[in-house]
Amino acid sequence: MSLVSEIRIAGTSDRVQPLQDMDQSRVLLRTFAPLHRVAMGIAAGVVMSGLLAIITIVLLLRRTDEAITAGSLLGQFLWGYSVSVAGILIGLVWGFVVGFVMGYGFALARNAALWLWLTLIRSRAEMEQYSDFLDHL
Amino acid sequence: MYPEEQLERAVILLNGKLLGIVLGFLFGAGLFLATNFLVLKGGPHVGAHLGLLGQFFPGYRVSFWGSIVGFFYMFAVGLIMGVVLGMVYNKVARA
Repeated sequence: MSLVSEIRIAGTSDRVQPLQDMDQSRVLLRTFAPLHRVAMGIAAGVVMSGLLAIITIVLLLRRTDEAITAGSLLGQFLWGYSVSVAGILIGLVWGFVVGFVMGYGFALARNAALWLWLTLIRSRAEMEQYSDFLDHL
Repeated sequence: MYPEEQLERAVILLNGKLLGIVLGFLFGAGLFLATNFLVLKGGPHVGAHLGLLGQFFPGYRVSFWGSIVGFFYMFAVGLIMGVVLGMVYNKVARA
């Protein structure tokens, strides 16, 4: 089982099922296909905003001193946030922004690392291919 | 289409359930280790800040038993986060 369920090729209806049809090009696609940065940003944003809203609602319902302390600690990092009804909305916005930046950044870093790795493999293969070039002159 | 072209246009879709299980174990193990680290470290106020998680997770305390309870809570949180993350990601990536 793999974290990658399938690979979609933009602009076509081609789908690569990872555990089937494991010919060489599909294995390569499965290994090196990039993450969708915006999709990862949106997904992480939705998750973070939902999490922050649930945290605020729980703190609002509890209303103990400890709960207010826990909420005010979040307010140190998220400008305008407090344990209140308005805080739920502000938390939703902050959660989305923070999550989007984290998700987009993660996908960007992962794709960049993969691209570097691919470039390294490719340049090594090319060097190996042309290593006996001078012998043929 | 050549493999290079395919690779340029390809986008990975995620397995949400598996991502959830992985995140769940990571989050659960994180809280389990953090709680037990503080318990072993000891001191006059053991885990004053981490104990605030008890506001969200009824039954959680900074103790060995609390670390087990916390593991299951954080596993559930990670599982839900992973499933939602995978679901939203796949929807947007397919669009």
